[in-house]
Amino acid sequence: MEKETEHKPGKKYGMVIDLDKCTGCGSCMAACMAENNVPCKDDESNKLTSITWIRVYRLTNKKPFPETEICYLPKPCMHCGGVGDQGHSPCVSVCPATATDYDHGTGIVSQIYTRCFGCRYCMAACPYHARFFNWWDPIWPADLKKSLSPNVSPRMRGVVEKCSFCFHRYQLAMEKAYVEGRRDLEEVEYQTACTQACPSGAITFGDLNNPDHAVATMKDDPNAFRLLERLQTNPKVYYISSREWVRRAGDNYLKNEPTNSKPRVTAHHG
Amino acid sequence: MSTSNHEAIGLAPDGNPKKSEGSSNGVIVLFFIVGFAVSMAFGWLVFPKLLYSEKNQPFDFNHKTHMDLVDNGCESCHVFREDGTYAGTPTLAQCSDCHQDVQGESKDEEIFVNEYVANNKEVPWLIYSRQPDCVFFSHAAHVKMAEMECKDCHGDIGESESLKVYRENRITGYSQDIWGENIAGIRKNTWDGMKMTDCGKCHEEKMGSKGPCFQCHK
Amino acid sequence: MKIDRRSFLALGLGAAAGTALTPLPWKLTDDISIWTQNWRWLPVPGDGDVTMEIGACTLCPGGCGISVRKVGDRIVKIEGLPGHPVNDGGVCALGISGTQLLYGGSRIKSPMKRSGERGQNKWSPISWDDAIAEVTAQIKTLVEAGKQESLACITGSGSGTTPLLFKRLLAVLGSPNFMTTSSMADSYSAVIRKMHRLSGAVDAGFDFENTGFVLSFGSGIVEGWGSPLRMIRTANDLKTKKVSMVQVEQRLSNTAAFTQALVAVKPGMEADLALGMAAVIVAENLHNASAVGGSSSGFAEFAAMLKQQFSPDAVSAKTGLKSTAIAELARKFADPANRSLAICGRGQGSAPGSMREFMAVHALNALVGRVNTQGGVYAVQAPDYIDWAKDSSMTAAITGKIRIDEAGVGAFAHTDSLLNRLPAKILAKGDSPVGLLLVSEANPVYTLAGTKQVMEAFKKIPYIVSFSATMDETTALADIILPNHSYLERYQDIPVRAGLVKPLINLAKPVAAPQYDTQNVGDVVIKIAKALETPVADAFPWENYEDCLAKTLGDKWEPMKEKGFWTDEAFVPGAGATAFAFPAQLPDEPALAGDEKTMALVLLPKESMRLWGGAVADLPFVLKTVPDTDLKGNQVVVEVNPKTGASLGLADGKEALLTTASGSATVTVTFFEGIMEGVVAIPKGLGHTGSEKYIADKGVNTGDLIAPFEDPVSGLDAAFGTRASLKRA
Repeated sequence: MEKETEHKPGKKYGMVIDLDKCTGCGSCMAACMAENNVPCKDDESNKLTSITWIRVYRLTNKKPFPETEICYLPKPCMHCGGVGDQGHSPCVSVCPATATDYDHGTGIVSQIYTRCFGCRYCMAACPYHARFFNWWDPIWPADLKKSLSPNVSPRMRGVVEKCSFCFHRYQLAMEKAYVEGRRDLEEVEYQTACTQACPSGAITFGDLNNPDHAVATMKDDPNAFRLLERLQTNPKVYYISSREWVRRAGDNYLKNEPTNSKPRVTAHHG
Repeated sequence: MSTSNHEAIGLAPDGNPKKSEGSSNGVIVLFFIVGFAVSMAFGWLVFPKLLYSEKNQPFDFNHKTHMDLVDNGCESCHVFREDGTYAGTPTLAQCSDCHQDVQGESKDEEIFVNEYVANNKEVPWLIYSRQPDCVFFSHAAHVKMAEMECKDCHGDIGESESLKVYRENRITGYSQDIWGENIAGIRKNTWDGMKMTDCGKCHEEKMGSKGPCFQCHK
Repeated sequence: MKIDRRSFLALGLGAAAGTALTPLPWKLTDDISIWTQNWRWLPVPGDGDVTMEIGACTLCPGGCGISVRKVGDRIVKIEGLPGHPVNDGGVCALGISGTQLLYGGSRIKSPMKRSGERGQNKWSPISWDDAIAEVTAQIKTLVEAGKQESLACITGSGSGTTPLLFKRLLAVLGSPNFMTTSSMADSYSAVIRKMHRLSGAVDAGFDFENTGFVLSFGSGIVEGWGSPLRMIRTANDLKTKKVSMVQVEQRLSNTAAFTQALVAVKPGMEADLALGMAAVIVAENLHNASAVGGSSSGFAEFAAMLKQQFSPDAVSAKTGLKSTAIAELARKFADPANRSLAICGRGQGSAPGSMREFMAVHALNALVGRVNTQGGVYAVQAPDYIDWAKDSSMTAAITGKIRIDEAGVGAFAHTDSLLNRLPAKILAKGDSPVGLLLVSEANPVYTLAGTKQVMEAFKKIPYIVSFSATMDETTALADIILPNHSYLERYQDIPVRAGLVKPLINLAKPVAAPQYDTQNVGDVVIKIAKALETPVADAFPWENYEDCLAKTLGDKWEPMKEKGFWTDEAFVPGAGATAFAFPAQLPDEPALAGDEKTMALVLLPKESMRLWGGAVADLPFVLKTVPDTDLKGNQVVVEVNPKTGASLGLADGKEALLTTASGSATVTVTFFEGIMEGVVAIPKGLGHTGSEKYIADKGVNTGDLIAPFEDPVSGLDAAFGTRASLKRA
């Protein structure tokens, strides 16, 4: 595999979320649940046990009324590549079961439920709280089983799950491409469910390595930043905000430290 | 599997210091051999029979007859959908195109027409190659892109005149064909098994690596 | 030969050695691991052909087109319909959750008759024939007793063939009491009728797409106001175009957060701000000369009133804003280059509002020439395609009859329906004026304010027929249920009345086969009418509902089936609405219920796209998106400013007792900097009852706590909040 990626740079799927556009409506969350067979419990108000692969957070500038400002921040899995996109993601590097791995061909961090034995080391390692544990078996009451999609397998009790960038949509798009004798996808052929549902058009998804894809240029926006960038997790989810306090909220800064809109450490491999 | 029975016996306890008081060496060896032989027989002969339950298909199907009648080989009936996904076993609608009424003299066809076509009921085929839900397998990638033959994985089923007995693993619920007919897991042909190791082996040979997990999992 | 312990040890060792040399342990390990990875109780979703079908969403009045993904005959996902004029591919959380309504536990699976006490939720299934025969017999009895006027009907909307079939049935039988759920759209209709001297089906249309400055008086632009998806999309387009949007509100709602411009006015003083701005505009001569002259009337009186009652100081005192800030906002609004647009209708607009506010805001638009002009607000005639609704046979039997709610005549001449006035009329002395009530696509027991009184009133109605597809609060009080198909299983035309400028009719289509023993309510009404025989049956000449719909839509029918909607691109809005009457006087602002001394706080409902407060209870996916600052366990979370909280001795995240003039509730308090001091915000859309555990008995219905307030001009409920107290529990 390493040999292959050397002579042909792989795709690197990623997301740019424009926080100036996000209204906090929650469509992305519901679209994700419906797309990925995420089950619902009777009480979902305990957010520690509520499974939402993408969750919209509310940030405030903590100023008193009426100077208060809010920013809504949708947060999926960051699909960290680690330094130089070597695949040294926080979760992948700690999984004792190889239940999660880094795909050098797409840059997507997988989660294989049947392989996972539920130690939750990855959850502890993930700095983004992007991983969720199934404390109970999923229940689809009444006839709700009929609404399950065959493209994503339902998870059992005792395993960890997370956003997959709707990888099954990539698989399906590739199938169509293969039948048509292609190996490459158009930008529109592979889009995540949240991107598709967002009424604001706040989410843009595509190949960060492909200059024809919108994300490739958007990620270089002067107002673009990533969460906890200085941990060198190298996330593939970029955010754009015109507000400095929002960009500063993306990392832990000392009081007088200037906001870095670009990572301090850049790739030194590959 | 280099240890022979002979060598195994050589491992039996030897030179017991209290011969006179306890059982003789001979008895001990005998018991060992009995235990060994019985478990060997159980493990190799009885266990495989116990592990699988035999199930019959709803009715028999002659692939060979059908292959002679169609011009696009397997894909005449086992089709790719327009979106590139693979449809698997033909649906009732596909079959009833020809089998609206009984065509020949086969008893199985009679069952099909009277019980399924007449009642508009899909045939509950038992799928020999059915994989767990966590598996994503792209027929398009293998058949269309890699230009593999159906039989590379499925064997000569296209030339068979009748369906073999479906042997269901009592523990897993999947067909014996996934593990392979050989209980020891020895493969002679590429289609002798359909486990992840089988996929991995071929992928390592052809692609240089087993590939990322998500390639085949969902 | 002696057999002892050691012999058996040898046997065991032999067996172990033998077993190790068979495939048994390895094969078993493998099989058991496969077994544990594929628990048989976990569903394996079936595979099949994937198809996409076009439909329409009816869960809110927003009018989105949907694209339904099916695998075989199962609906697995609802997505937005690309190319639809409202949502163009986007979709909201509630819309996505539609599959959970279709397959969910709240569906009513067959016609049912009440077998226990009212509200006990005991039912026995009956056949469709029996159900229709029973309802027909009840209607006949009423008519034969000469009490046909006590036949009433409540539907969710007043337009489209389904509601109009009900209206026709009532009219032919001689009852004018066809009522609909009221919303902001009704307040706007009343304002337009009153101020433009118009009558008939006329709505307000907002040309957001071409506006240059949006001033929102509490309207939740990105929280579901009017047509949620259209508004979110448009607001984003405006933001991209750097169009200024200013939000007048008491807290940092999603809209205020989005616009990043909040004008924090005191609760209920929105109208005064609008009039204060108007006063500045008139005083500084910034108004549009042609808009106040010509065919307009009453400007001089209006100007005099502004001068007299809305001096900068007076307005500043009432609104809590600086007079310079008001003047600045007024100047910005009046600048013709800004192509301004002021809107009102609180939150999602699911409730009507005060005429003082609607008239003030509409007059403000008119003053600067922003009515019936590009980028402004238009008077829009509703699409008029249902010919049979206009024939005289339908109106003859009810001409001159006064409705129970007294809408459409006298003081309330500008309003079609006043459902909010019904409970008091029923609870008045004597027999209930409603003898038989038909309820379809409405849930008044949940949506009307003053829940306690509403419940009592409904319990007093002798016979209630519900046509609901799901078990809701109103249906729980019914005597008989004739369940409708869900919107994914039936045909229905849905004219969209949600502030659009161009007429739009969506078509819901049966994208799934009926899951249960239900029938399209349109078919059921036709069947009831036919069972009532001449002359009623003659007014329903259609074979069934589909026939009625096809004949009504005429040449629109086939294209609509294919496309999912019909719209008139060439439509010119505002025709016939040239005259404008400025008000010489305005009604007072709605009084807040409760004693100011004991209840020092003002309780306001807060709305968001993650919680819908309408007739349909939120579905599981939506509940999952609700933050724990709205709902924690089964308890509603109310928002207060940390300063207010501290002064009341409350603690963040702790329980408190919320009391209003209508009732009290134990709540959890959350401190939030983005809310005005002295204000408590409570999420709207909770407090449902029933047996669905994910939603039932969680939080409180704001209608339990906020008493209705009858607007003196429109008669609609104008309550926007109430006084309240919050004490540490």
